[in-house]
Amino acid sequence: MAAVTPRFGRALLRLFAVQGSYNYERMLGLGVGVAEEPLLRGLPADGATSPYRAAVARGAHFFNAHPYLAGLAVGAAARAEHDGAPPELVEKLRAALCGPLGSIGDRLVWAGWLPLLSGLALAAVSLGAGWTAAVAFLVVYNIGHVALRWWALREGWKHGVRVASALHNPLLQRAATLAGPAMACAVGAALPLTAQYLALPFGAWGRGLIAVAAVIGFLAIRWLPGRLSGLRLALGFVAAALAVGWLWQ
Amino acid sequence: MSLESLIALLGWGTLVGVDLVSVPQMMIARPLVAGTVAGAILGDLDAGLKLGVVFELLQYDILPVGAVRYPEYGPATVTAVATAHAAAGALGLGLGAVVGLLIGLVGGISMHVMRRINSRVVHAASAVLESGDPRALVRLHVGGLLRDVARAALVTALGLALAWAVPPHVTGMLTPRGATLLAVAGVAAALAAGAAGTLRLVGRGPNLAWFAVGLGGGVVVATWLR
Repeated sequence: MAAVTPRFGRALLRLFAVQGSYNYERMLGLGVGVAEEPLLRGLPADGATSPYRAAVARGAHFFNAHPYLAGLAVGAAARAEHDGAPPELVEKLRAALCGPLGSIGDRLVWAGWLPLLSGLALAAVSLGAGWTAAVAFLVVYNIGHVALRWWALREGWKHGVRVASALHNPLLQRAATLAGPAMACAVGAALPLTAQYLALPFGAWGRGLIAVAAVIGFLAIRWLPGRLSGLRLALGFVAAALAVGWLWQ
Repeated sequence: MSLESLIALLGWGTLVGVDLVSVPQMMIARPLVAGTVAGAILGDLDAGLKLGVVFELLQYDILPVGAVRYPEYGPATVTAVATAHAAAGALGLGLGAVVGLLIGLVGGISMHVMRRINSRVVHAASAVLESGDPRALVRLHVGGLLRDVARAALVTALGLALAWAVPPHVTGMLTPRGATLLAVAGVAAALAAGAAGTLRLVGRGPNLAWFAVGLGGGVVVATWLR
């Protein structure tokens, strides 16, 4: 293990750019291959059909998962290649990891950790914390972000083909369970505070209009899911306001 | 806006655009962070925070799972703040929102186009990739990264051009009442999108109760602070 430490560090650094060449054909595949490559360097590399080259080619095949947890697949596949696992097993392992890593990562990060901290930051700005709220958000978020990337790669590299056991880690399961309620509570609290922060500079009629338009907009998005996005609603609202403002001189 | 500020905003908008997907995803692309730093660059923290909050709420409407297409609000927020700073006064917030929304739309389209270009490049290089040549793999990956840098810079530059060109034309077009109406529209849409996006995220399960608890607490604090 000690002999691969610098390679492990290089793989970890490369994982931060795992989506650098994101595309609709191989999704994260190229990024995963690039991140895995340093961990494969111990394999025999002589000739055009060496185990090293075959493993590098496999590493760049289609892959899609949450980017922060992609390290788990990178480490596990690299360990499996070193352990002499058959190519079909390595491919199966990668394919089997796509769904769980995507699901857990989305629940834990995109629908948990990120909106939780964003909600807290919004509430803090609304309560007068100013720019320090944005800085605190960045620092705290990235403690979790970097720790998750590091943990994922380390666990994958440690367990190889038995990496599924890492996904049952009690801390990970507990974090995934707690993230949802904490996020819901934080964003719920942030919404009225943010509304007050944004509406305060307006006069009484402006505040009233914001309340009415926000309720109408909210109901419209809820009634037309998939057809009316926040962006479309906002573009419609500002276009209408520009037209009315221009005519109502 | 000085040339130094423009260059700094272009650099910041590019970093923010690259952070969203490519590298390092440390969330400087979040509108609250992107807007605050843009405000600091222009010496207008208030505009940075306000538009940061507006676009952060709009961001709740997006859940970036799979290959879903979505608007890009990072560079959009940077250019919205630049517009608000250039327009100043009552018009700033509303006009900033308009330019930001347009750039958010353009940013989203540009990401989709870039991914299609990446797909073609990767498809064309299939044989080289199957040979397991690590140098070719890294070269293709870095090529994708550089395309994203160029894309983010172009989107930000377009937004900054709008921030420079639009305010003088619109200032005489709208009365203070019209300017307020525009700002009201931007804020209301952000609140609607933020609330709808949050509820979609929360779902109808047990998290809904926690959302209600938070909402109640937020209302109490907001009322108490009035």
